[in-house]
Amino acid sequence: MTQLEMPTSQTDHGKREINTRLLDLVQSLGLLGVILIGGLMLSFASPVFFSRINIENLLFASTIIAVVAMGQAFVILVAGIDLAVGAVLALSSVLCVVLATKAGLPVGLAALLALLIGTLIGTVNGLAVTVLRLPALIATLAMMSVVRGAAYLISDGRNIAPVPGIYVDIQGTRVFGVPLVILLTIMLGVVAHLVLTRTRFGREIYATGGNPVAARLAGIRTNRVIVIAYMISGFAAALGGLMITARLEAGAATAGFGYELTVISAVVIGGVSLFGGEGKIPGVLLGVILLGLVQNAVNLLNVPPNYDYVVSGIVIAAAATLDVYRRRLLEAGLRRRTMLIRREKAETRDAGQGGAKRPD
Amino acid sequence: MQATNPKALHPHSQQGQTLLAARGVSKTFPGVIALDDVSLTVVAGEVNALVGENGAGKSTLINLMSGFYAPDGGGIDVGGRPLDPTPSAAHRAGVATIHQESHLVPNMTVAENILLGHWPTRMGLIDSRAQMQIARAAIARVAPGLSPDTLARRLTPAEGQLVEIARAISEQSRVLIMDEPTTSLSGREINQLFAVVRELKAEGMGIVFVSHWLEEVFAIADRITVLRDGRLVGTEPAATLDAPAVIRMMVGRGVTEVTSSQRPMGETVLKVTNLSRAGVVENVSLQVRSGEILTLAGLVGAGRSELANCIFGVDPYEGGTVELAGQVIPPGDTTAAIDGGMGLVPEDRRQQGLITNLSVRINATLAVLDRIAPGGILSPEREAAALSMATRSVAVKMASAEVPISTLSGGNQQKVVIGRWLARGPKLLILDEPTKGIDIGAKAEISQIILRLAEEGTAILLISSEMPEVLALSDRVLVMRSGRITGELTRDNLSAEAVIALATRG
Repeated sequence: MTQLEMPTSQTDHGKREINTRLLDLVQSLGLLGVILIGGLMLSFASPVFFSRINIENLLFASTIIAVVAMGQAFVILVAGIDLAVGAVLALSSVLCVVLATKAGLPVGLAALLALLIGTLIGTVNGLAVTVLRLPALIATLAMMSVVRGAAYLISDGRNIAPVPGIYVDIQGTRVFGVPLVILLTIMLGVVAHLVLTRTRFGREIYATGGNPVAARLAGIRTNRVIVIAYMISGFAAALGGLMITARLEAGAATAGFGYELTVISAVVIGGVSLFGGEGKIPGVLLGVILLGLVQNAVNLLNVPPNYDYVVSGIVIAAAATLDVYRRRLLEAGLRRRTMLIRREKAETRDAGQGGAKRPD
Repeated sequence: MQATNPKALHPHSQQGQTLLAARGVSKTFPGVIALDDVSLTVVAGEVNALVGENGAGKSTLINLMSGFYAPDGGGIDVGGRPLDPTPSAAHRAGVATIHQESHLVPNMTVAENILLGHWPTRMGLIDSRAQMQIARAAIARVAPGLSPDTLARRLTPAEGQLVEIARAISEQSRVLIMDEPTTSLSGREINQLFAVVRELKAEGMGIVFVSHWLEEVFAIADRITVLRDGRLVGTEPAATLDAPAVIRMMVGRGVTEVTSSQRPMGETVLKVTNLSRAGVVENVSLQVRSGEILTLAGLVGAGRSELANCIFGVDPYEGGTVELAGQVIPPGDTTAAIDGGMGLVPEDRRQQGLITNLSVRINATLAVLDRIAPGGILSPEREAAALSMATRSVAVKMASAEVPISTLSGGNQQKVVIGRWLARGPKLLILDEPTKGIDIGAKAEISQIILRLAEEGTAILLISSEMPEVLALSDRVLVMRSGRITGELTRDNLSAEAVIALATRG
């Protein structure tokens, strides 16, 4: 901190800017560090871990959660929550198969309709939260129940198979040796990141989540921003439904059970504040990978599957605790810095006044 | 703490004994040094009045003494022993605090509130008879007419305060800290409160009394402690001071005088006709011309901010019209107001003006997103240009535009909120208490900015409760009371007395 004691020269300006960048970096590195150390430990414990197949499996298994989590991140960034994602995923899975095989629509159109309905459900969630002013937790909890019920009604509670062949094909496609699904997920991540950081809408998301009143008074239509965030989450969940259909090779009303909690955990572990306005997509993806790593470890180390949930819970709690602790450290650092700067300022001001006192 | 002797202070302390001592305490928050090496003593049988302008550090000092904050430097001693920085430790040590906002549980009775957290029990069940007894005894001292069965939410603010005092008595507190207890009280209620305070004082309680009103301070204080910009100016016996002396201590070094200039005024920019919103604003008509500073004066709660919110399209209204440069702004349409050329600097900077966790850059460009993001994609060049327009024109002092806005001083934060609109080149700028809670130097700077804007032809609608500001800046003053305009003053007949008369009796 010593270099901060003289904040007057031009070079120090640059230095402090770098320092804030550095803090950002440390923030994201924290999670990356945990993942790397965990991975390293795991590779000692199990030689299989660092094999290409295992890493690929880990990422592949994480893609669905990643897509749904990125959608959820938009909602949490505006200080909302979307509990309906697991159910939307299931409905979309059922719909894309039923519409194509039973209703005889073209496969593409069926998938499009599933996505559309997911987005529509998100819209209703958003309107319930903004126009009806229902608490997000209640509104999306109710929606979760309705949508899950609809998925059961349409499928009669049975897995619907076979699915159109293209799902199976996409699942197996590789580009440059990498599964297409992984590449698509990464691409979606890049798009989501750019939307949040480089567009007006992204800026409006952070402003709305950070302080809705101030955002509104600065001319941002916060209700619209919130509704669009829920639409994105609904769309992402529906897309997750298409992906899970490919993986299960069935339209399943039971798919995605409990996903909402896994997804929310990943988002929060990834550094998105539940109070809104804070967090980034790369963090979310790291959060997803950390959860995937835990799953992977449980598999590789032959931990009895019944311990699964317990281990996941402990990891979530640990990550959240670390995050809170790190934030506190950052805040304390920031406080010390401002104190030093202000002291310096006060002293120079006092000194200047003593020298040139005005006659009045 | 000790289980055997829960009170650090003996319940029957002697008059003149030091009950609580703050020794050179300092406290920093991101962006501000709230307190810097401040010492203060609370003595049995004495009222120490704590005065200072907004932001002088009074609330921080109170929060330190009541255990809400831990000091960064120095320490608080109660009864000669260092105080653990937790509210419960302060309570156990015998320090009770009555905060500005009520700390009563609305759905509990007066008796339950008095014994909040200390309900007497018998075999694990609440002993309501003992509770009633203790509560009655405490109430009898401060508010004999009050029934202990009344629900707290039915109490008037004055009664609520007396109940909190009763709680302090029932806890056998020896130090009572009162943070602006008179703000929501009528004159009669204040006298009643002071009678109780004098009685407690006579019994050896040490009292810290915070107030903005110097008449009250001189009516009740034995000693007066003045804070300024987080530092201690001095503690003097009240008998050796008078109001001008205290004001000099509060204000400190000379402040650059701001005087309104003669400006050419242009066409009418804002025309509000018969605007009414049920229960808030009644039949208000006003006009502001280009280059004119029109001030809305009046007491807090007169409906001035509410009127501003209607004009700016934040709140809907039933009757009347708002026209900006001849164009009607539909009710409740902030976007139309902004597109038409309005800007609003809201009253509560932290709650309504800033997105505290985001950078200065993002805060400063928040109102020009449509202009810096053509087609929805942010353009770094346009953003940089808007940022420089927003921050240079108001001379924001900051290390970098990338620091969180919360690290800036209050004055600089406010400049960013003003600059946010200057980046749009507004026709009309509404400023709601623009200098509230910022230090004196920055106040003068912001006044200069307002004058400069008017000189450049911006129409200014200023809401201010600070009389010097009203007198110095206004070309014209409309005084409001209970949602109505009660009078208009021009520079020829503008005086503090005239404003107060219209605000309180008009």
